[in-house]
Amino acid sequence: MNYLTHIVAAASLIFVGATANAQTWPDEEKVVTVIVPYSAGGGTDSVIRPLIEELKNHLPARVQVVNIGGAGSSQGTNELLTRDADGYTLLAAGTHTIGATMQGLTAGYNDMDHIVGLNWDPFIIAVLKERDYDTLPELVEAAKNDPGAICLGNAGMGGATGVASVAINLKFDGVFNVTPFQGGQNLRADVLGGRCQVGIFSQSEILANSEALTPLAILYSEESALEDLKDVPTLEELGLGELSVPGGSYKSIAVRAGAPDEAIDALIEAFEKAFNSESYQQFMAEKGLIPAYSSGDDTTAYYNTLIDGFEPILREAGLYKAE
Amino acid sequence: MQAALADLSAGLEILLTFETIAWVIVGSILGIILGALPGLTATMGLALMLPVSFYLPTATGMALLLSVYTGAVSGASIPAILLGIPGNPNALATVEDGYKMSQNGQAGLALGGAALASLIGGFISLILLCLFAPLLAKATLAFGPAEKFMLALLGMSIIAAISGNNLMKGLSVAALGLALSIIGTDPFTNSARMPFPELFAATPLQSGIKLIPALIGFFGISQALYDLDRLRQGSLKVPQVSLKNPFPSMRKLGQMWRLTTESSLIGTIIGAIPGTGASIAVFLSYERAKQLTSKVGSKLGKVGTGKIEGVFAPEVANNAVTGGALIPVLTLAIPGDAATAVLLGALLIKGVVPGHELFTNDLPLVYAIFGAMGLSLIAMFVFQLIGIRIFPKVLEVPPLYLIPIIILLSYAGTYAIDGQASLVATFNMGVACILGVLGYLLKKADYPISPLVLGLILGPMLEQNFRLAVKLGQGNYFTFLEQPIVLVMLAIVIATFIGPRIIARAKS
Repeated sequence: MNYLTHIVAAASLIFVGATANAQTWPDEEKVVTVIVPYSAGGGTDSVIRPLIEELKNHLPARVQVVNIGGAGSSQGTNELLTRDADGYTLLAAGTHTIGATMQGLTAGYNDMDHIVGLNWDPFIIAVLKERDYDTLPELVEAAKNDPGAICLGNAGMGGATGVASVAINLKFDGVFNVTPFQGGQNLRADVLGGRCQVGIFSQSEILANSEALTPLAILYSEESALEDLKDVPTLEELGLGELSVPGGSYKSIAVRAGAPDEAIDALIEAFEKAFNSESYQQFMAEKGLIPAYSSGDDTTAYYNTLIDGFEPILREAGLYKAE
Repeated sequence: MQAALADLSAGLEILLTFETIAWVIVGSILGIILGALPGLTATMGLALMLPVSFYLPTATGMALLLSVYTGAVSGASIPAILLGIPGNPNALATVEDGYKMSQNGQAGLALGGAALASLIGGFISLILLCLFAPLLAKATLAFGPAEKFMLALLGMSIIAAISGNNLMKGLSVAALGLALSIIGTDPFTNSARMPFPELFAATPLQSGIKLIPALIGFFGISQALYDLDRLRQGSLKVPQVSLKNPFPSMRKLGQMWRLTTESSLIGTIIGAIPGTGASIAVFLSYERAKQLTSKVGSKLGKVGTGKIEGVFAPEVANNAVTGGALIPVLTLAIPGDAATAVLLGALLIKGVVPGHELFTNDLPLVYAIFGAMGLSLIAMFVFQLIGIRIFPKVLEVPPLYLIPIIILLSYAGTYAIDGQASLVATFNMGVACILGVLGYLLKKADYPISPLVLGLILGPMLEQNFRLAVKLGQGNYFTFLEQPIVLVMLAIVIATFIGPRIIARAKS
């Protein structure tokens, strides 16, 4: 009896020890750093910050956002890969990470584990109001009549808009003059200034310039969740369903590969609560972001399908440098 | 009219609170100190205070950031005058005359004049901002890659002027600057572009040689090394500082009206053009001042020889840039330079989308932002004046201590800019060190440094816009000759290169 009590006591001690151990992550004295690989105020930053504000309510440690921009998103990604794989440094990853990795600027997705997948920010292809074409088929027709004369602008070859524009051009036999601009601001200025005919934009960019721009098509598979952009046709509706291009920019949260399971579990739990919080759900609805929550291995599997979709496009465009 | 007045008073109501004024004071002092420390820039000061602004009401947050901005812009003149090291690019052109004045015992006048010039330049650009924001915004839309390329080329033509007597040396270091600016990633394909890419592609070299570590290396570290050399010879002279007359006389100010007006216009216009910054404006205004003051019969002191005119012109211009740079930020959501990119970020994070809608739907906020800039300029002037009595004490520190402090601050500044990215920050310290030694060697060989920095700043702008313009012209290299604005600018560039030589020949 006495012997048995001892075993039970020892077992329960071990058990208590184990649960106590499970709760040791995060160390309340430490800081959880979320690297946003773009400058403050940019598209990725504005999607991640409200989520992290919510996350602070669900993690006992201090949480901070750090913006490390440069070389597409490679600089911030490389910073993550120099940190310890202890789960205390996270990266706002996503479609941009795929481009950066394939261009050979970072080990990127080969050296990271996904925590959660978040949402899609759909792309819209748009032209100035005064252009002769106000549907996508008309635009394609105009481009075919004078190959190379119509500029199809993107916000940089490394990002998802770059890959999307290359993909569109490949599908239409290279009739467009695909032109990379240094960031969305320059793309907007040259499309609004009439020097580049077509641009690939986010929904918020279209809304901010709704008086000047005609949206031709939404590249995402569904209609926009925003009232003002609901009527913008999808590629499917335009009879271009076979056109498979990155439909937007996808955002996720990743850590350096090799982080302890307890850290990953704790992070998934906290991010799930933050994602499902009323304020973040409302934020996504207001911005027209399409929720695409997943966690752990599911996110990795989903992300791998994105990688498989990007690879042939980048290879065909001669942008694939990673070996 | 009534509605406008109502908007104006609503704007002032948001602004004139105890909280806002307190933050303006904090921001201003912090800005001046950051600007004065070699290597710490307005951009960095803004980045430091950005998180604080998230917790403040939009107008108050903007007031804080604008105070840091204007403070840092004018604070940069302090080390430029006292030590011959510009605190940041804003004071690149102030060094020449400011340092000479300080060595002639006129440090007080130079510092006071710089503060006054900053106030005047800032307010003139603020008035222009209020009046012309919507109009100039339309003009910036007409600015495409071809126009931006020409503007960068115009900037490069200044090399001829800042190289002094040795144009070949100036051109060769400018070429070195351009070569350094090419390192990084290709702007079109994003592929690595550097020596041994298989080794360096995934290192911080992928972002190229960043401007701030380069500036700190070329101006902070190389100057310290240079002084160290002179220390061994025992000839490092500490200039005397007199604080008797911190301001130029009213008569002098009257004589400088044209120089002041033109510098304000140069600063505001350059500031309003996206991608350009104070570094171009200060050189342009300095050059213009040189022309104005070397006219026959001019009562003004000749710029370049240690005269207040040579401090006034660039200091008016660099603060005028602040108002100018806000024009595209508020009207088009396009930042004029790196510092205003942070301001734009602060607005966007608050959910304020600049542009036509901001001017039609939220005029009180627009007025509050204008008012905040006015407040920040006054605070900058007051604290700059108080600082005159404190900052010259820096010079009383013996060079034996001062030189290590400059090196320490240079490294601390380099690290702090990317302090949260330890890998990048450490790399940047190495860049500053190597370029510091390079700058020292160039100085020893009597090569000018400013053209090198100009090449480094303008290189990416030249390359990207040239390639974009040709791409948009479907591969046609003559695209530059087909656009009226570009042609006019090309004529100006040619005139800047050839004009002075023709005049000189005609005279002889």
